[in-house]
Amino acid sequence: MLNRSLNFIIAICLSLVSLGQTGAVSGVVSDSLGQKIMGAAIVVKGTNSGSITDENGQYRIINVDLTNATLVASYSGYKTKEIKVKGRKNVNIMLSDASLGLGQVMVVGYGTATKKEFTGASANVIGEDLQKLNIPRIDQALQGQVSGVNINTNSGSPGGSSSIRIRGLSTFGDNDPLILVDGVVYDSEGLNALNPNDIESVNVLKDATAGIYGVRAANGVILIETKKGRRNVKPKIELSAYTGVQQATKKLNLLNAREYAVLKNEMFANGNNSLPFSNTNLGEGTDWQDAVFQDAQVQNYNVTVTGGTEKTTYSIGGSYFSQDGIVGLDKSNFTRFNGRVNLNTEMSDRLRLSSVLLYTNEERQALPENGIGSVLYNTINAFPTDPIRGATGQFTYLEEVSDIINPIAQMQNTYNTSWVDKLVGKEEIAFDITDNLTFTNRFNYNYAAVDNKVFSPLVWYGPGKAQNTAINADLDPTLVEIAPGSTIERGASVYEGRATYSDLNFESFVNHNTKFNDIHTLKTTAGVSIFSRNGKGLGGTAYNIPNNSLDYADISANLAPGGFLNNTNSFQFQERLVSAFVRTQYKYGTKYNGSLIIRRDGSSKFGPNNRFGIFPTVSGSWLLSEEDFYNIDRIKFFKLRLSYGVSGNDQIANFAYRGLLNGEGVYVFDDIITIGAAIGRAANPDLKWETTRQFNIGADLKILHTFDLTLNYFIKNTKDLLFQPDVSGVLGTAGAGSYPPIINAGDVSNKGLEIELGYTMKQGKKFNLSTNINATFINNEVVKIPTGIDFLPGAAFGVGGNIATRFERGFPIGYFIGYETDGIFQTQEEIDNSPVTQEGAVPGDLRFVDQDGDGKINFNDDSDKTMIGTPIPKVTLGYNINISYEGFDLSGNFFAALGQDIVRNYERQQPFANQLNYNIDRWTGENTTNVNPRLTTDLNRNTIFSDYFVEDGSFLRLKNLQLGYTFNPKLTQPAKINSARIYIAANNLLTLTRYRGYDPDIGSAGGPLASGIDYGFYPQARTLMVGISLKF
Amino acid sequence: MTKKITTIILTLIILPSMFSCKKFLDIDPLYTQDAENFFETPNDYQRALTGAYDLLQSSFMTVWIGEIASDNSIAGGESVNDTEGLHEIEAMSHDAVNNELRSIFRWNYAGITRANYLLENKNKIDFEGKGKIIAEATFLRAYYYFELVKYFGDVPLVIDKRLGADEVTKVDRTPRSEVFAQIEQDLSFAASVLDWNDPTKGRITKGACLSLLGKAYLYQDKFDQAASTFDVVINQNRYALIGDYSDLFKVNNEGHSEAVFDVQYSGAEGGGYGCLICLEGNAAPGFQGIRQYNGPVYGDGNSYNLPTQDLHDAFDATDIRRDATVLDIDAFISKQPNSSEITYAIGGGGHTGYYNNKYIKRQGEIGLPDNDLTSPVNYLVIRYADVLLMAAEAHNRATSPDDLKAQGYLNQVRLRVGMPPINASGNALTEAIWTERRLELSGEGHRFFDLVRTAKAADEINGFITGKHELFPIPQVEIDLAGGDWSQNNNY
Repeated sequence: MLNRSLNFIIAICLSLVSLGQTGAVSGVVSDSLGQKIMGAAIVVKGTNSGSITDENGQYRIINVDLTNATLVASYSGYKTKEIKVKGRKNVNIMLSDASLGLGQVMVVGYGTATKKEFTGASANVIGEDLQKLNIPRIDQALQGQVSGVNINTNSGSPGGSSSIRIRGLSTFGDNDPLILVDGVVYDSEGLNALNPNDIESVNVLKDATAGIYGVRAANGVILIETKKGRRNVKPKIELSAYTGVQQATKKLNLLNAREYAVLKNEMFANGNNSLPFSNTNLGEGTDWQDAVFQDAQVQNYNVTVTGGTEKTTYSIGGSYFSQDGIVGLDKSNFTRFNGRVNLNTEMSDRLRLSSVLLYTNEERQALPENGIGSVLYNTINAFPTDPIRGATGQFTYLEEVSDIINPIAQMQNTYNTSWVDKLVGKEEIAFDITDNLTFTNRFNYNYAAVDNKVFSPLVWYGPGKAQNTAINADLDPTLVEIAPGSTIERGASVYEGRATYSDLNFESFVNHNTKFNDIHTLKTTAGVSIFSRNGKGLGGTAYNIPNNSLDYADISANLAPGGFLNNTNSFQFQERLVSAFVRTQYKYGTKYNGSLIIRRDGSSKFGPNNRFGIFPTVSGSWLLSEEDFYNIDRIKFFKLRLSYGVSGNDQIANFAYRGLLNGEGVYVFDDIITIGAAIGRAANPDLKWETTRQFNIGADLKILHTFDLTLNYFIKNTKDLLFQPDVSGVLGTAGAGSYPPIINAGDVSNKGLEIELGYTMKQGKKFNLSTNINATFINNEVVKIPTGIDFLPGAAFGVGGNIATRFERGFPIGYFIGYETDGIFQTQEEIDNSPVTQEGAVPGDLRFVDQDGDGKINFNDDSDKTMIGTPIPKVTLGYNINISYEGFDLSGNFFAALGQDIVRNYERQQPFANQLNYNIDRWTGENTTNVNPRLTTDLNRNTIFSDYFVEDGSFLRLKNLQLGYTFNPKLTQPAKINSARIYIAANNLLTLTRYRGYDPDIGSAGGPLASGIDYGFYPQARTLMVGISLKF
Repeated sequence: MTKKITTIILTLIILPSMFSCKKFLDIDPLYTQDAENFFETPNDYQRALTGAYDLLQSSFMTVWIGEIASDNSIAGGESVNDTEGLHEIEAMSHDAVNNELRSIFRWNYAGITRANYLLENKNKIDFEGKGKIIAEATFLRAYYYFELVKYFGDVPLVIDKRLGADEVTKVDRTPRSEVFAQIEQDLSFAASVLDWNDPTKGRITKGACLSLLGKAYLYQDKFDQAASTFDVVINQNRYALIGDYSDLFKVNNEGHSEAVFDVQYSGAEGGGYGCLICLEGNAAPGFQGIRQYNGPVYGDGNSYNLPTQDLHDAFDATDIRRDATVLDIDAFISKQPNSSEITYAIGGGGHTGYYNNKYIKRQGEIGLPDNDLTSPVNYLVIRYADVLLMAAEAHNRATSPDDLKAQGYLNQVRLRVGMPPINASGNALTEAIWTERRLELSGEGHRFFDLVRTAKAADEINGFITGKHELFPIPQVEIDLAGGDWSQNNNY
């Protein structure tokens, strides 16, 4: 007893003698760019106690003499640093020098890797860089940030989508990459739902190392991590806000009223028709574009709270975003609320809970866009000689072209609203079985409810317009005969629909790290994943909405007699995926890294004969610069990488392998037509995923401490594309209503080179500069299509016109095919003496090139058509620059795409449709021009699809330019503000292009075979903004 | 605590491993009938059977090719490019690229596939009346295979299953004899199940099964089996020749005592030229109608499949079958009152002055929705006169010939049309029966196959090359789509 007491007293005394307290110290180790470093060693100087930082860069050491201890932080490639604790419980350490940024931790799927060790080709963007752009959509913000990822805007309308293509187009089907947010599958179309402010980092796995996601990895994988808190940090509150005004960047050069009248007169005269305008002195007339494009507001407010206690970290965010459209203002508005909770807590020493919840609420109003009949299509083709409203105030009818309607009337009568409620998250429990072995179980969910309401009032756009819902200007409804002699009115209607989608995903995996004989390091991840997706939809249309008014636009208000006319529809689907995966990363010493991934996937989408697939990947890297013989002083870091692997694309229709009973099996018994059953589309039990084999060789270099260079060359071959080609008659698909099965056939190859070069000035006291440029060169080619078919037709040119794009062997996906022109026939003599007969040609017509050399232009077949363009850029470039001087910061972000073409398809080829003013330079007689053909109402072939309608789509765009000022903390701290920054910014300030249309940054809303076809694309706006961000 | 956690972990590891991946992935589409979740009720079987019957309605193509390939008729039509394949067949210049031959190949396989789909699932459930459905499906498969063998000789034999897209490259052409063996087996089975009588008009009967079986024997020169099989049909005394030959092909008389196996059509549904296989009406009468005809009795049509002078002249002037088979359009018009007001046009695809008077668009037989393609006239695949003539031939050519019986059958046919009886025997009787076949059955799609079967084709058809034209070429595109390994028929 005495002994024990004595010990106690001595202990107390000793602690008093040392005059210090003992306790735990923790903190975060990061590099000079703020990137957290995983695997850094923190040792208390002169003792054996210490810790290694985890994937969040965190360390924690207990029983440290807080008063006197000195921490030694070290990590390979960085300068070792010593820091005195000086009584603090939280010591954050910044390591610098040597190989900058190489300790940066990346998520690589079910685990992490440091940039230094990673064996694959990936591209990293930190959240701050995206947020700074003030672009509401992550996908648009990513454009130009990294190489190998080509992002095009499908629509510039608020809430519109983008097409994301990692390393080129590999199928005419679904090219969307797999997108995971904190490990949870997030649909690519729904990226709009993410708040850029919630994002901590984005990592794009471009090469075969994406294969950890197996059958879903062929189009690349984008891993998005949301913000997390840090331990032992008091709550930090960040408030930010910006507001801005959006404008159209460009108006098309359309004819004004006088020019229009003159040209139309000439056109009709040339066609031997009477002149439509007796007086051409009509002045400017109506500028429909001025009437349609309006300045529109955008605003965004964010709040983030992050922090942590000893065992728990948290990050909570909320935001509101609202954007009106430059076309239609609130008729194309997008509003979004986001809420996010990201919570990590240690339930016990070995048990950790991670909980992520992302909530989104969206509302979007949409106008018809990007097609014939869209608002902008109508705007371009509306006649400048007609006013917007007639004498009595009613909208004008633009009667002379039946399918062009008054765009202002169209906007006013469009009511199309959709709402999305989306909940995405996970609950994850990680258990450290031993120090090296962690067992993680997580449950991921993704639920979205999408509501849609479309109100179609009774409208009269003018005689003969297809969009009319009324039968006359008095808005009398159509009468519908429901039985002989019995009719009812069909009044205004409303469509309401609701679809819900839910993903449930359970994943269980172990991570094991071990080091033996001091030289072998082995990191292994193995696990299983069970995924199920369900969708249900119900919709209905109801007629005779009272008062023709939006106020009553609800199915419940319908007055359809007896419910006649009203109709409903529904759908439901389910799909399932079961997977097992193993990844082993082996490191020998510090120089050699190797990785092997094997994933086995089973999917309900595939036929029973091919339900399971195995996807292996091998990769390795060699840190040349760590070799003894390495002596290139200027290149501080030199890594070579190699990877090869197989992955799949499972984005095919559910149950496509099954034969559906929707064929026509009808026969006559007892003289009565009797309906039977027959297989429609034939079954294909062999149906499977599209397979991509990708090889990548790359190098990462650090030159003179300030330059980062990454090079990648890849060959990506995709085979087994899905087709529905003609099949052998023996399969029995030639009966009525029967179709061939969907089969795997066809190959596509993408080869490319990616270069990223970054420069970061050595951290200075006042002036800092960092800049990077990236370039991607991709060569896309269709290598194989099924035997028996020559090509797959794509999008059409004009109204019901020729097929303009194809999927054909030896050409890029969706290349443009049509006639090549060679100037204009100037004289009849020239036509007569031409070695090539061009049927129907008269002077002033386009001269086509005889591709097959048979002395004649064949308009009935394809023999004289040739490749006249491609929608795929030869090279895309991104350039980012950040400069700061004292409190000022300036950043710019450029994107360029070069070598692609766009089809000018927004011109309605009708006598009265308005035209672009290049037509002023039309052919009017010998040698007047060799570019633009004559204008005439005569039958002619100048409007068939030729290179005359194909324009160079290359462009360079200043996507974002921003100037900010951060106040000296000394000034703001009295107000408890740690940091205050104000800025002005502009998006899409400048676009350099020769393209005549609104916006050369055109995606492919209609699929890969409709890329680069411009129907009067809803352009991205130029946005001028002011903003503020405060940190408390 | 650690123990608890270990238990939890063990549970988490064990649970997923107990879970069956295969079962989890094996899900059915919701609320949708598809090929894999069908055949749950008797009605499902009945509906699938109707689907298999559907392809019988492609018969118009056989009427065309069986006649046009022979000395009986020319292709006709608007121009020589109008259904070009038929013009090539007329000229015996056809090769492996021929849309019409491809249609024959594909449509019959479509019928086979639909029958096989039902037969593949024949054991899924049991119910009363299933046997009859199975038997009808089996007959249909045999009929479609018989058509294919007639045209192409060796064809891939697929039985009781559907092929996957990959499997088709692994099947080869099955020797003709093996296909015939299957046909015989299927027809014998169907005949053993089905009754002579079916209350539903249009369903296959035992008589149809046995008659087609006898025909299949005849096409293999198995005369003894053919003779005994036809005798069963004849001795049943169910069928009889109808009195007026010219009434055979009129819609009002359908289901007459001479109809052994006919394809049913309806005039109640319109159709389009874009999908002839989708029609519920008979396409042949419309196509074979008089071009731009404006007059009584007939409707206007597309002047296809025009009988030759040779056929017209083959008839005895007193044989009523001549005018019932061949319409001499100018002679017909001249006999009408106001004949000068009756007009018609000559098609660029050829003109003989004659039209097929058996399957021709007649006023009063025009389908309501559109009168181009919706003829309700049934196609008589096998009628009793044919059975009698086939029986006569079989007895005459049997190992121990019974010419007396053969004469009896032959003269039944002649007697009906007022032709004097024939007393010949041996080879002379054989020739007489063959001649009678042409006179009795012309315009019905049998002539070419009879000429080939009896080795007379080279004598009668201009351009016919022995050793080549007995069979039509397998469509090249079908060879390619099947992987390119099939051999082509000789000399194509």
